[in-house]
Amino acid sequence: MNRAILAIVGAMAALVVAIGVIIVVLVASGGGSNESTANKTPAPTDSGGGRTEGELRMAGPEPITLDPAIAQDEGSARYIVEIFGGLLTLDQQLQLQPDIAGAIPSVENGGKVVNADGTVTYTFHIRDGVLFHDRKPVTAETVKCSLERAADPATQSLVSEFFLGDIVGVKDKLDGRADEVSGIQVIDPATLSITITGDISSFLYKLTYPTGFVVDPSQTGGTCGTEDFGDGDSNWTRHPNGTGPYELKEWTFGERIVLQANDHYQLGVPKTKTVRFLLAGGGLTAYQAGDVDVTFVGIDDLERIQDPADPLNADYLTGDRLALDYIGFDTTREPFNDPDVRLAFAMAIDKEQIGSAVFKDALPVANSYDMPGMPAYTASASAPAFDPDGARALLEQSSYGGADGLPAISMAESGAGATASEATSAIIEMWRDNLGVEVEIQQAEAATFFQDISDGKYQMFHLGWIMDYPDEDDILNIHFDSESPNNDTGYNNPQVDDLLRRALVEPDPQQRTQLYQQAEQLVLDDVPWIPLFFDREHMLVKPYVKDFGISPIVVPQLRYVSLETP
Amino acid sequence: MQGLFGYAVRRLLWVPVILFAVSFIAFTITRFGPGDYVDVLAGPRATPEAEARLREQTGLNDPFYEQYGRYMKRLLTEGDFGESFTKYRGTPVWDIIWPRILVSIQPGIVALVIGFSVGIAVGIFAALKQGTWLDPFAIGSFLFFQSIPVLVSLPFLVLLFVVKLGWLPAIGWGGPRVDVGPQDIELGILSTHIILPALALSLPSVAGVARLVRATTLSVLGEDYVRTARAKGLPEFQVITRHVARNALLPLVTVLGLSLSTLLEGSFFVETILGIPGIGQLGFQAATSRDYDVILALVLILATAFVIANIITDLAYTLIDPRVRFEERRS
Repeated sequence: MNRAILAIVGAMAALVVAIGVIIVVLVASGGGSNESTANKTPAPTDSGGGRTEGELRMAGPEPITLDPAIAQDEGSARYIVEIFGGLLTLDQQLQLQPDIAGAIPSVENGGKVVNADGTVTYTFHIRDGVLFHDRKPVTAETVKCSLERAADPATQSLVSEFFLGDIVGVKDKLDGRADEVSGIQVIDPATLSITITGDISSFLYKLTYPTGFVVDPSQTGGTCGTEDFGDGDSNWTRHPNGTGPYELKEWTFGERIVLQANDHYQLGVPKTKTVRFLLAGGGLTAYQAGDVDVTFVGIDDLERIQDPADPLNADYLTGDRLALDYIGFDTTREPFNDPDVRLAFAMAIDKEQIGSAVFKDALPVANSYDMPGMPAYTASASAPAFDPDGARALLEQSSYGGADGLPAISMAESGAGATASEATSAIIEMWRDNLGVEVEIQQAEAATFFQDISDGKYQMFHLGWIMDYPDEDDILNIHFDSESPNNDTGYNNPQVDDLLRRALVEPDPQQRTQLYQQAEQLVLDDVPWIPLFFDREHMLVKPYVKDFGISPIVVPQLRYVSLETP
Repeated sequence: MQGLFGYAVRRLLWVPVILFAVSFIAFTITRFGPGDYVDVLAGPRATPEAEARLREQTGLNDPFYEQYGRYMKRLLTEGDFGESFTKYRGTPVWDIIWPRILVSIQPGIVALVIGFSVGIAVGIFAALKQGTWLDPFAIGSFLFFQSIPVLVSLPFLVLLFVVKLGWLPAIGWGGPRVDVGPQDIELGILSTHIILPALALSLPSVAGVARLVRATTLSVLGEDYVRTARAKGLPEFQVITRHVARNALLPLVTVLGLSLSTLLEGSFFVETILGIPGIGQLGFQAATSRDYDVILALVLILATAFVIANIITDLAYTLIDPRVRFEERRS
């Protein structure tokens, strides 16, 4: 008896002390405001710590590889575009600019010739004095070897056909039918010609993607011209030799990537000497503690930071990205083989409400597939508007005769959790309220998800698309042309096919834009995809970091940044 | 000691058998799970032909027992754990795992030392104060910490020590650098970076050790030799350290041995929240991205550590406890 009482008293005393400690801590810390830590200088340590002159510190994703030929994710591309370069590049306004080439080949400067057989030959002159980081000169032969390496099946690139497949002979090389790519010819040590299968104006854009970047053959191995480099250096991506504005100084897995300015970069020496990326733990806490100069802001912290009264508000920077969040339908499967059903589902979603309630207005609502900033974007493009009554009526007119006639429906999304994302739940609820349709959510890990989408296993799926280069063919042709291997919806409209294929090879930009706008409106009306939201980046940038831009797609941008001396 | 030696050899002979079984099961499960690393890598831009080519080149199309045979042959003859596909494409698995193990071990060891020393002290203290309010108070306080999950306690510790007080660095890991072969690692154990992870990992473990020690101490306190020691006038401090503690701590050897093997596991939550480049974080990422060779290497290394730790624990127990040795000599 005595013991039991003692035990209870003791345990309660422990609890009281614990709660007391918590209250003291909260009161003590609640009194001080958040900026109390923003100004203090933490003890300098190796990672993070105080500012060093000329060094920009930011959070960064962990790259999967720094080999340009096989990279295909944004996280890797972010570093590769700074370390390597290709014949052409994109500036921060997404305009084509010459990089290793001295000029952009065009009909006017004689660099572009349309051949009698319909193929097009571009001639590139290598810019004088372009050097690798180790000061080895870049020649036409080096460029040819780099492109051929990307198209070599042994390189195991999954995207070389996507980005280089326009070049005559690349498919033969990928299939093992040829040793060389016949469409790439070295004319003299400083001149290279590339022949592509048709007048595809987006080809020059594709050369700005890492797949077409120039690598050092003595690192990657193999034969190049008359030289044989054997197996090369198996560990070369840990210390790559590129031609980009920055040189990789260090890549410690899971910890950091350090880039150092290339002081003989052909397009101008970067203003910031060192850029240190923290691959883990560089969030808002680190920013407030002064351990990083730039960080991303998540939606949960956004409301606070957008408040003008918040001290962090002055550092807030936002920028639109060329990416689209959408729901895709398998147009060959029940019930979405009926266009009326797809339309009804689209009309039942109130995107504005999801945008304000779930995303706190962090993302712009999408009413087209083309993002603002793309050449053919027009505000007059119109996706089906929110109309719950119309949607219900349409569903009743459809071949299924209303909600009760529909088969079981599920929507797939990528995710490992047991609960759906808030946006998905909101959409499901709108379908329930406005259409009377019960839709189940099917979650799959990324690996399963992408496999099942290409196998056509889902009735509908929630997915995003990030642009690789600012041209409509990177979204419209590859997703909505019935012959495209990347068309996952089974969408097939001969009129759209015709418009898209004409637009692809249309040399006149104005004409091209019109063709794409026509095609896009037709697709929007057929609803193989419901466009939901465009992407927008939210960041915090310290006031002493100047000219830091949020670019709409991954382009080299660190060399424009300058730092005020601490 | 003959018997002990024979026992050790018999146990060790089982190790390869167990590891073979583990490797086979792990290999089979990864190969028959949905999706493979080509699906993870592919994304929407790869053509089906390119995916098929990569599967063919990396042997994914072969029957799984052939793939298993190839893997085991390479592992046993060349000590080669294969290479990463989706996490660090083309990098040897050992180069990825080894530095991370060395990082994960640091907070693990410190947490183990703190957890056990505080646990032992609290356990003995509680036993000596049995019958007063201090006994349940001491144990209860640490039960409170045990019942808070790391997911809750760690952000709280960060809020307190990093954001509010500013005593500790916000960046998860740092310290003097040493080259361990494939790359440099940081000895956070020699810097303030060790404090948060060590605290978060050790606080929940104190109560378990303390309760075990309290129970064994109580039973030892009732033994005749303790009464004898007190009766012959030994100072209480010596009675506790020489006679009580030595005997009360024996059962802890088992717990300690098994804890040692978990050092290699790292801690997914602690490493993810604090951004420590350890093995726990890697294991989770490897599993979700179907990085077959990384998953297998991790499973094999952990299984080996667990089996060896078990054997060492058993042997240590027999060596430490004089009664076990005495029994042996008699038989």
